[in-house]
Amino acid sequence: MKLRLYFSTLVAALLVFISSGAFALQSTEAVAAKIEKKEGLTAIEYLQLMQTAYKNSNYEILYLNNLKNTAEPKQLIHGVINQEEIAYFRYLNGVMRESLQYRGKISYFEQGSQAYTLQSTQNQSVFANIANFDYDKGDAFYDYIILGKGRIAGKTAMAIRMISKDQYRYSYIVWIDTDSYLPLRLDTLNNANIILEQIMVVSLQVSGKINPWLESLSHQQLPELINFSQTSNHQASLWKVGWLPTGFRVVKDDQHKLVMYQNEPVSYIMLNDGIVSVSVYIAAKKIALENKQKIIQRGATVLYTYQKNNFEINVIGEIPVATAKRLIESISMVK
Amino acid sequence: MKDMNEQLSAIVDNELIDEQLINELLINKDKQDQFSRYHLIGDVIRGDVADQFLDIDISQQVMAKIKQQDTNDFVVVDEPPKKIAQQTENNNNVISFVKRFGQYAIAASVAGVVVLTSLMTSEPTIDNNSGLEVLKTVPFGGANPVSLQANKKQSQQDAKEHNERLEALLNDHQLQLQAQP
Repeated sequence: MKLRLYFSTLVAALLVFISSGAFALQSTEAVAAKIEKKEGLTAIEYLQLMQTAYKNSNYEILYLNNLKNTAEPKQLIHGVINQEEIAYFRYLNGVMRESLQYRGKISYFEQGSQAYTLQSTQNQSVFANIANFDYDKGDAFYDYIILGKGRIAGKTAMAIRMISKDQYRYSYIVWIDTDSYLPLRLDTLNNANIILEQIMVVSLQVSGKINPWLESLSHQQLPELINFSQTSNHQASLWKVGWLPTGFRVVKDDQHKLVMYQNEPVSYIMLNDGIVSVSVYIAAKKIALENKQKIIQRGATVLYTYQKNNFEINVIGEIPVATAKRLIESISMVK
Repeated sequence: MKDMNEQLSAIVDNELIDEQLINELLINKDKQDQFSRYHLIGDVIRGDVADQFLDIDISQQVMAKIKQQDTNDFVVVDEPPKKIAQQTENNNNVISFVKRFGQYAIAASVAGVVVLTSLMTSEPTIDNNSGLEVLKTVPFGGANPVSLQANKKQSQQDAKEHNERLEALLNDHQLQLQAQP
């Protein structure tokens, strides 16, 4: 009798095992069938496949933004309609905060506030910076190295490291799903190899067709478009940055008003290396600080304030403090 | 009684909305006093008191209050509790922050809320030797000893204003990222 009981539980357990195994097999097969599996790829090939997949696939990811000891859960649904990308993003905790990006416009919705639209041709979604990077060009200031296989969000992932060749930018580790080639995790590291920021996917779903709900969003009428460039007088800033880290170039140089701070006029320069953007603000000194300089760091973002004579320079961006410092030192007035 | 106090405390923290208790709060003056005190305690812990009594030396005020402990005149009890509840909401940094900057701020908050929240909870540095300010998000991060607040008022006020400007710069940075060429 005892033996029989034992036998029947064994059969039951076996059945469960087989059926769950079959399910798992089915789902992985469905994904693998769509994308031809490649073996023996180089690091840069993985990164470039990731770029194509991130832009051209229909997928939904749930991810966490880890910063110090806090984690913020977020969701991204991405689809392609007639070769145009559409991306819906939201925070999963707390107040509803959502955005929808489609056809060069991005709309923001927040509970308790009026929704509005901005013009934005750049992809603003979570992995956009590594998905838009020109890896061939980036070869000049990053080394790409395959670290090996890992497992993220239940999927086999290839870890690839982008090591900065100098100390003026951060390094990254990107985990790429070996089936869909979508990014699953991104760590930002300083040159002591400490993780400053981390984006971790916890759930990834890839589908052949676009999410029908997302497609219905594309027909939605957008909130009012706010023309942001009106605050700028489209004149150069009258300042110049004498030193730039390799790969960085000036992408914006203007004078505009701080709409959020008493319409204060500022001279503005934006630098970009394809991954990060750095803002440089030069304005008249209003409040004298006890110390000439002030450094605020959170995750990879630094906010460096420097007061000199009667003006104040602020540098904001995901760069090491040393870079911000050297940038500030090189700033001078255009003669 | 103690249980009731706990419930009051929960209301202050917006954790409990019990109609019955609120009704009682409306009629019972003792409860109203208690409720106001909890709010004040909360404000002190959060370091919000400086905003409320802008130019008053708090430590002296506290001493004065201890002397005349029986009178509870330093908390507003004439107002119905509902209004008090509203006031706390307004004292809440997050809400006033969003209102202050208007609609542009939201673009920034969606994109870069992490940086913003860190600045909101940050307080000006007091013993800043290295010149390096590392921000924390611990709830009590902003609480400083009362005496310190009183002494360093002017420089704190400056630093606070400066931080406001930094917040605006961070917002602008996020907006500039959206409109990147």
